[in-house]
Amino acid sequence: MKNALRWWWDIFLAFSLLALLRVVSPLPFAIEIIIFSIYTMGCNFLLGRVGFISFGQPAYLAVGAYGTAFYLYYFGQNPYIGILLGILSGVAVTALIGPFFVRLRSDYFALVNLALAVIVYYLMEKVLANITHGDNGLWFLTNMSSTPVLDLTRPKEFFIFAFLVAMAIWAFYKYLDDSVFGACCLATKINEDKLKFLGYSNFDIRYLAFIIANTTTALAGSLYAVYLGFVSPEITSPARCADPVVVTILGGVGTLYGPIVGAIAYTGMKDLISGFIANWELFIGLLLVFIMLAGEKGIWSTLGPFLQKALSRRGILPRVQDEGGKGR
Amino acid sequence: MNDGEILAVQGLNVSYGESKVLFNAGLRVKPGQVVTCVGRNGAGKTTLLKTIAGFIKPTSGSIIFNGTNLVGLMSYDIARMGLKYIPQDKKVFSDLTVRENFELGSYATKDYNWDQVTDHFPKLKSLMDRKAGYLSGGERQMLIIGRAILGAPRVLLIDEPTEGLAPSIVAHLRSAFKELSKKSALVIVEQNLPLVCAISDKIYALKEGHIVAEFADRDSIQARVCEQYL
Repeated sequence: MKNALRWWWDIFLAFSLLALLRVVSPLPFAIEIIIFSIYTMGCNFLLGRVGFISFGQPAYLAVGAYGTAFYLYYFGQNPYIGILLGILSGVAVTALIGPFFVRLRSDYFALVNLALAVIVYYLMEKVLANITHGDNGLWFLTNMSSTPVLDLTRPKEFFIFAFLVAMAIWAFYKYLDDSVFGACCLATKINEDKLKFLGYSNFDIRYLAFIIANTTTALAGSLYAVYLGFVSPEITSPARCADPVVVTILGGVGTLYGPIVGAIAYTGMKDLISGFIANWELFIGLLLVFIMLAGEKGIWSTLGPFLQKALSRRGILPRVQDEGGKGR
Repeated sequence: MNDGEILAVQGLNVSYGESKVLFNAGLRVKPGQVVTCVGRNGAGKTTLLKTIAGFIKPTSGSIIFNGTNLVGLMSYDIARMGLKYIPQDKKVFSDLTVRENFELGSYATKDYNWDQVTDHFPKLKSLMDRKAGYLSGGERQMLIIGRAILGAPRVLLIDEPTEGLAPSIVAHLRSAFKELSKKSALVIVEQNLPLVCAISDKIYALKEGHIVAEFADRDSIQARVCEQYL
């Protein structure tokens, strides 16, 4: 009963956080945050559950975005098919490179992924310029046809679609967290030798986690592509490689709400501060350093327990045992 | 490998780089036997267990388990075949609850009968929702052994199970080992001689990487005899 209540509370909280966005912020801002949340969920799973820090997430974002863009620019008009192809591109690429990447230690993993992002950037900008149109990018906003039920060419309906996708992805990661596979991922992060004693292959677990996490990132890329109707190599710019890692740490590594809270905080800060200050990047950098120092566990990991305790005291939530609770 | 032996190690040589640590080691284990390895620190006891479990590749020799040579197999494949290693350090997956630790053991072996564990270690029943990092040393050892016996392994390799534990816990483990040996053969590395003498069917003494003595019958297993190898 307690677990069921907790599950519904978690869903409600995640749902409310995202739904509230639409009420208090302009539509483009809300959509940006929802897609950024999905983008960060993959990075959060890799870092928080498997212990892999990746500075190459923009590469996977680009794989999904270009998978969608190629279809919508050259072949078809249906954005749903475009998104599906973006996801499949993510699965294919991660399944192909995963066996080489997941054998690496976390620090080398981070660097190899960073290198991948740079490679993808130059592939899209120079090597494949005939197909990608280089810096000019691919425009296909007017190519996309209207779709039944939720018309993705209309921003309001796209928001609903992105919102539902974000909720589904969030619920999927919650399911993973509570599953044996989630426990295996955490176990491989804590002590990979011990996991072998039990008969598990660390490689298999990391490989599957790698595919899941980066396919999520590719999905975010597809959503960006459909929403903007445009994709350019800027999406995998090396200058953006740290963004998802920063947002993950800012929100709270390994927490389910971390990506949502981190995306709201990061995008919000950027949006707000850039309106007042010319050199806003410097100010945001300093602010991030301050936030990390003040609550090194990230926003949600610092504030979440207070919120849960307050709600437990009021009887809204069942009491959480410090020793037994998962603290998510 | 003789008939009825579940594990036969023969001519095992192991080196860490240039340094050789096991010389022509061998041991034989029958189903249901409790076999103990004694010796001073650095004698090569842990290396012997780790090599059998597939964590260290031997330079030569054979390890026949249930008719299969384990040399060259991956450690997780060996664990799946029913030969489990329980390390000395009592480290658990501290961020996971006791229940999740068991789920990991169950999922790998498809054995969800946790009663067999709680029958041996009833205390674990009340600790299911506690994070393993909050358990005492004895409780951790119970958890590690309990997790390992899921799937009814044919052989359990247990490295210094009583190290640092209170006498009452040691007594509990002693009776648990006796019970466990009815289903699985146990190969234990241990320095607690009263325990060794109480539970062992066979003892191998190691010194500087060599097996220097073997006591194969109950009459020859005495603490004062074994003491000279510690």
